[in-house]
Amino acid sequence: MHPERQLLPYPSVSDPASGRPRPGSASADDPDLALVRAMAAGDERALGLLYDRWQPLLHSLVFHVVGDAGDAEEVLEDALWQAWRQAGTYDESRGSVRTWLTTIARSRALDRVRVRRAARQDVSLEDAPASAEFVLAGGGPAEAAEAADLRARVEQALAGLPPDQRETVELAYFRGLSQTEIAEATGQPLGTVKTRARLALQKLRTALSSLREEAP
Amino acid sequence: MTIEMTHDEVREALGAEALGALDGGERERVLAHVAGCDACRAELDALREAAALVAHVAPHRPLAPARTADVRSRLLARAAADGVSRASQDDVTIEAAPAPIPAAFPPPRADAEPARAAPSRPDVTPITSARRGRGAMAGWLAAAASLLLLIAAGVYASGLRRQVDALQARATQLEAERTRLADRVQQGEATVASLSGPAVKVIEMAAARPADPTGRMFWDTRTARWTFFAHNLPATRPGREYQLWLVTADRKISAGTFRPGPRGSAVVQAEYELPPGSLQAVAVTEEPAGGQPQPTGAIVLAGAMSTR
Repeated sequence: MHPERQLLPYPSVSDPASGRPRPGSASADDPDLALVRAMAAGDERALGLLYDRWQPLLHSLVFHVVGDAGDAEEVLEDALWQAWRQAGTYDESRGSVRTWLTTIARSRALDRVRVRRAARQDVSLEDAPASAEFVLAGGGPAEAAEAADLRARVEQALAGLPPDQRETVELAYFRGLSQTEIAEATGQPLGTVKTRARLALQKLRTALSSLREEAP
Repeated sequence: MTIEMTHDEVREALGAEALGALDGGERERVLAHVAGCDACRAELDALREAAALVAHVAPHRPLAPARTADVRSRLLARAAADGVSRASQDDVTIEAAPAPIPAAFPPPRADAEPARAAPSRPDVTPITSARRGRGAMAGWLAAAASLLLLIAAGVYASGLRRQVDALQARATQLEAERTRLADRVQQGEATVASLSGPAVKVIEMAAARPADPTGRMFWDTRTARWTFFAHNLPATRPGREYQLWLVTADRKISAGTFRPGPRGSAVVQAEYELPPGSLQAVAVTEEPAGGQPQPTGAIVLAGAMSTR
């Protein structure tokens, strides 16, 4: 174990985990990018700082998917560990650190749910809770104002979607259902599910594009 | 079943792919197309960015402070160990100290890259000298020249900005490396100090068996650091380990368990506060692996504290 170090050679950070979405526009002064690069160079302190920045969001995400505190903690650790191991392959031209991290965390969380379901030999769709279950309650006082702001905007954008599109996004993103499973669960043709997924994401992108332009 | 999908079919499926909702075969075909189609790739990347934002609507529930500290320290310990093993894979490892406490001097990190090539400088648009116009054209030309100058200055500034960014990234890397080296030096200095400081007492130990293992304990009474070296120790039997003891008038304090290396040598480091007058002896016994609260096995090495 390393002794405490005072010196943190990384850009100071004012927007923990809440920074504006900056898809594909990572630049050298992006603190997340600096951290991922330092991780790739083997600096474990960068992993600690990345963890500090993203833990609130990533834990919220994996907890929402797995629904169990113990599992969520393990999945969170697995996800960050995977990020550490794969930091060298992160390609900022393909997406933001946010997308990279949430993708890893979500996959690990869904894996955990699948393992649990397989263990119970229960693969029915009844595991998928009713849709439209986004909880709009705000975060506690610990939630940074900017994170709360971003969450509010994403929620608003989602709320603006037609219910069937929103449902498709929820079932796929948080429950990990495939388009075939969603089609069965909702009684819609496969092509309809596909179209809904695409339209929903395109609308989200448009609704949130103003955020991107505000990015520093 | 490797029917290629048309561009339009792929495009239609990109939303489902961004949400991870495509089924196996279709997913493969979509990704195969995307690999060779810049437009679809850009679209997919953008849709994935949008999908990632959905994470934000999960109810806010950060890990509790006590738990998060645990997870964080586990991750950092794993990463530090991983860094050391990555370094040793690159053949720059020093011989590992045969001690239960990881080597006092961690092997140098091989993965700390030296100078990474700075991103190539964008060409700076040269400012061409504007020729003086004549008559009515003069004003227009002057304005055009100013405009050119402005554009050139903008290009130049953005070039500078990129250079500054590259230098900042480089400075960040170098600073991280400097901190790491400073830590290593500090660690080394602490070890040397605990062997050679004015307050260091040395306890000689002699063998209690025909084989002649030897041991020497360095006790830095100022920093409470203990450094123990042993040589010629016989290998421990399976399921057994050596245990090092600090013996005072009223108790025997375990300073750790260890196994000797292939040549019978061992180094143990420990930190333990003990009033300078209270140590009577240092001993090594053989115990069940993991150690015992009190010595139970045969004494392998023992040494009395000299009264000098």
